[in-house]
Parts: sequence; C-alpha cells; structure tokens
Amino acid sequence: MKCGVKFCGGCNPHYQRGDAFRRIQADMPEIEFEYAEEGTDYDHLLVIGGCTACCPIIDQYTVNGDVLKMWSEDHVDIIEEKLEEKLK
Amino acid sequence: MLMTGEQYIESLRKLNTRVYMFGEKVDNWVDHPIIRPSINCVKVTYDLAQDPEYKDLMTVKSNLTGETVNRFAHLHQSTEDLKNKVKMQRLCGQKTGSCFQRCVGMDAFNAMFSSTYEIDKKYGTNYHENFKNFLIQVQQNDWVVDGAMTDPKGDRGLAPHAQRDKDLFVRIKERREDGIVVCGAKCHQTGSINSHWHIVMPTQAMREEDADYAVAFACPSDADGMYMVYGRQSCDTRKLEEGADIDLGNAQFGGQEALVVFDDVFIPNEYIFLAGEYEFAGMVVERFAGYHRQSYGGCKVGVGDVLIGAAALAAEYNGAQKASHVKDKLIEMTHLNETLYCCGIACSTEGYPTEAGNYQIDLLLANVCKQNITRFPYEIVRLAEDIAGGLMVTMPSQKDFDSDLAVGRNGETIGEICNKFYAAAPSCTTEQRMRVLRLIENLCLGAAAVGYRTESMHGAGSPQAQRIMIQRQGNIEGKKALAKAIAGIKE
Repeated sequence: MKCGVKFCGGCNPHYQRGDAFRRIQADMPEIEFEYAEEGTDYDHLLVIGGCTACCPIIDQYTVNGDVLKMWSEDHVDIIEEKLEEKLK
Repeated sequence: MLMTGEQYIESLRKLNTRVYMFGEKVDNWVDHPIIRPSINCVKVTYDLAQDPEYKDLMTVKSNLTGETVNRFAHLHQSTEDLKNKVKMQRLCGQKTGSCFQRCVGMDAFNAMFSSTYEIDKKYGTNYHENFKNFLIQVQQNDWVVDGAMTDPKGDRGLAPHAQRDKDLFVRIKERREDGIVVCGAKCHQTGSINSHWHIVMPTQAMREEDADYAVAFACPSDADGMYMVYGRQSCDTRKLEEGADIDLGNAQFGGQEALVVFDDVFIPNEYIFLAGEYEFAGMVVERFAGYHRQSYGGCKVGVGDVLIGAAALAAEYNGAQKASHVKDKLIEMTHLNETLYCCGIACSTEGYPTEAGNYQIDLLLANVCKQNITRFPYEIVRLAEDIAGGLMVTMPSQKDFDSDLAVGRNGETIGEICNKFYAAAPSCTTEQRMRVLRLIENLCLGAAAVGYRTESMHGAGSPQAQRIMIQRQGNIEGKKALAKAIAGIKE
C-alpha cells in the first residue's frame, strides 16, 4: 500500500510532526510512505498538520482511497488504527 | 531553480562584493566570524525550502513562470499568500532566533510590481516590464535581494535637494542614453552583504524639485562603484574570541546591517523602475512600508517564541517554574506575542488585489501591527529579564567555567568554583543554565537585540510614521458620523 505524506508548513506546530510521522512509519513498515508529489497515484494520503487548522491544500494530489488527517500527537494511535484497517 | 543552503553560500563566494569592517577591507567575508552567523541565518530560508516538513510554507508556484520558487521571491496572489508569508516569517524566526534578512526583498518585489504598473499606466514608461523581467531572473536563480529604502537624510528639516551635501539621498547624477548614474547611500541595510542583488527605492514622498531623487532600480551587490561598511552590534567582538560558543548565546545565527554606498554606479535602462516620476515616490514608500510592517507580525513573533521558551527554561533551571508570578509572566509574554501575530494575520486577511494583480495588505491594520511591535517586544524582554534574574548579565565567561587554574585553599580550580556557585536545580547542568541565560542576554541586550528590540522600534519606520498612517486611515469622520447618529445629533 502506497501512502502519500503531506506536512503543513510548520509555522507554529504544537508537537513534533516529524517525530510523529517517524513513529507511524516505524510502527507500520508494511506501508510504503513517501512525500506526496503531484502526478503520482497514492492509495491513501496522510496529512500531518501542526495545529487544529490542519491547513495544507491537497487538491493537487491523486488519491484513490482516503485522506487521513492528524493535527495532534494524540492522533498517532488513531491514524495507525485506520491504516491497519486499510491493510486488511 | 531552488538552491540548497550550501549552494547559496557557494554563490556568495562568487561575488566580488566589497565589504569593510573596523576600517579594513574584508576579503573573505563569507567565513568571517562576525558575518558568518548572519549568512547562516539566510541559509535557513534555503534549507527549510528543501525540507518536506516546511516546504508547504516555504515554496509556492510562481505566477510569472509556473515554476516552484521560494516564497521569499513570490508575488502574493491572494490573502492566503499574505497569511502564509506571515506564517513563514514566524517559522524562520523560531528556527533562527534572529533576523533572517530575506523579507526586505520580498516586500520590495511586491511594492515595486504594483507601483511600476501604475507608473507605466500614467506615463507610458516601461518600468513594469523591466521589473517583471528582473523578478523572473530572481526567481529562476533563487537570489537573495536587499530592499534598500532608508537614506542617510542629513538635516531632517530639509528636502533632499536642499541638503548641504547632495548625496544624502540617493539621486540620479547623470542621465545617459543607455541608463543612469546614481550616487548616495542607504543606511542600516539588513542583509545587504548577504544579498546577490539590491532593489533601491526612494525613502520618502518627493516634490518636483526632488525629481532626481525619485529613483528606483536594481543592481548587483558587486556593481562597479558599490561598497558596504559593516554595522557594529552589541557584543559583536565576542564572536572573535577563540572557541567562542556559550558566551555568544546564539553561536549559529545572527542579523546583519550595513551602510551601502553608491559611488557613481551605472544602472542600465532595463534595471530602472522609477526615474524622476516624483509623485510616485510616496506610493512606493507607502506600499513597501505596509508590507514590511506586516512582516514584523511574523518574524518578531517567531523570535518572541524563542525568548518565551528561554525564559521558561531559565525559570525551570532556577527551580522557580512553579511560582505563580513566573507562570503569570509567561502567560503575559505569550499574550503579547500572540497579539502581534493576530495583527500580522489580520492585515493579511483583509488584503486586496492591486491594479497589477498582486495582493496588498490592509494598510491601517499593518500600521497598527507595527505600532504594537514598537512596544510589545520591549515588555516581553522586560519580563524575560525579570524571570531570568541578574545572572544573565553578571555571569563569568565560558573560559572561567572551563578554567583549570587552581585558586582555592584546597586546590579548587576557577571552573570548579564557578560550577559550585552557579549550580541551581538538579534538572539542569550549570552549563545548560549558562547557555539559556546567555541566549536571553543575546536576545535582550546582545547582538540579537539589534533585531528584536531597536529594529522593532525603527525598522519599517519609526513609531511616528505609523501614527501618521493610522491618522490617515483611521476614518475619524466616519466615526464622528456614527456617534452623531447614536447621540441623535442632527445638522
């Protein structure tokens, strides 16, 4: 499963977004994560915002499945559960 | 094409920029210990643009070329762009704890783009096309550009043409078929040495007698006849000390200002954006100042974030973090800092398109933003010093802490004595405590205070300049009409 990853710009993040992503990546080695690029097809897209605004614009990406958004460290477990579901 | 941070530094080495400091020419200014931290600061604007965690803010698609460019070289195409500019600046302030210098160019681009369009409309000149072509070069080469506005100004009571020394405002000295020759100087130019190019703009509104002073143009940093004299900063020579680290407070990053001199510099026609159309000088100044007053609602907030964090750490290291007055002071600092951010975001949200198509901020709110900036960082600094305690200015040097010179009755070294008497809460080492106190010193009254304090006062215009704009934009007549309606006053 190929999952695109899109970070917000990080103007004033309330948690370490990179660390949160690396945790998800380490916990789910069976998923192929890559930084989202235009023109590439993704099964799902993980959007990592630094605050509740979770502001990234994602219209430019091709996503066949779902867009999963997170804006808090507390969301790591929820995202992992959702990704687990997708793997089934 | 986007440059990496390393490519940026290498690109500076290729310039023949003439730099003077302490009365001498500095040949290798890129590696000079006093200058290098300011170059590292600009480098961050390149590094972040390459980082997936930050590129959403740091890069954007150019409306001129369709290519991805650094946001610092972008023309704002929407209120979203204006807000993202402020957010990017907060981010850069957070990452450097300093003035990162690249915003003046961005503000000059946006001011000149819309102004040249309107000048051409009235006079049929070719300034807008000139400017667009120049900006495309900037975007394609990912250049840093200094936005140079402030003239020395001499006797403030006299107009440019009436000054005893005609060079106290940048002026057109000679007009030729293929261009103009300019002379004069621009003072306290942020990041000028670290820039590839300069956009020079008039410093104030001009009258007909001052038409030769109504001039705007672009020129490279190493143009023939151009040189720069480095501005001193508080505690700057600490950077020259051998092994300097902790005593610097911020060893990696810093700001930079210089006197930029134009000693008969030839400017070809294609780089001229204003040359005598004096009634537009005021427009250029107002627009540049408006953008730059918005900018401070981002950059100073980012540096404020660092200072608030440092004060909180100092409290923790002192073992005072649970004291209610300390908590309250941190709340007050945060409140002040976020108020500044609110102003930056508000003037962006209320932005509007210019005739040329790029977006301009709300001038009233941008001036209110900057007026607050002339005050709040001073209060944030006062509270940080209150929390830090006097040690931030009385602490011995790093060399003392490292010294193995035995001075005590039982052979204790200076280092052991310093570490014994300056130890505090067990949550930190004495070195960690020194580091955070030196950072606070750096921001409050050291080298970074140039950017965080005095630049907050005078950068983008001194307080009175904003008050004049607030008066003009404040719509007092409209407010009087509201009061009359409520009070039942009929005329």
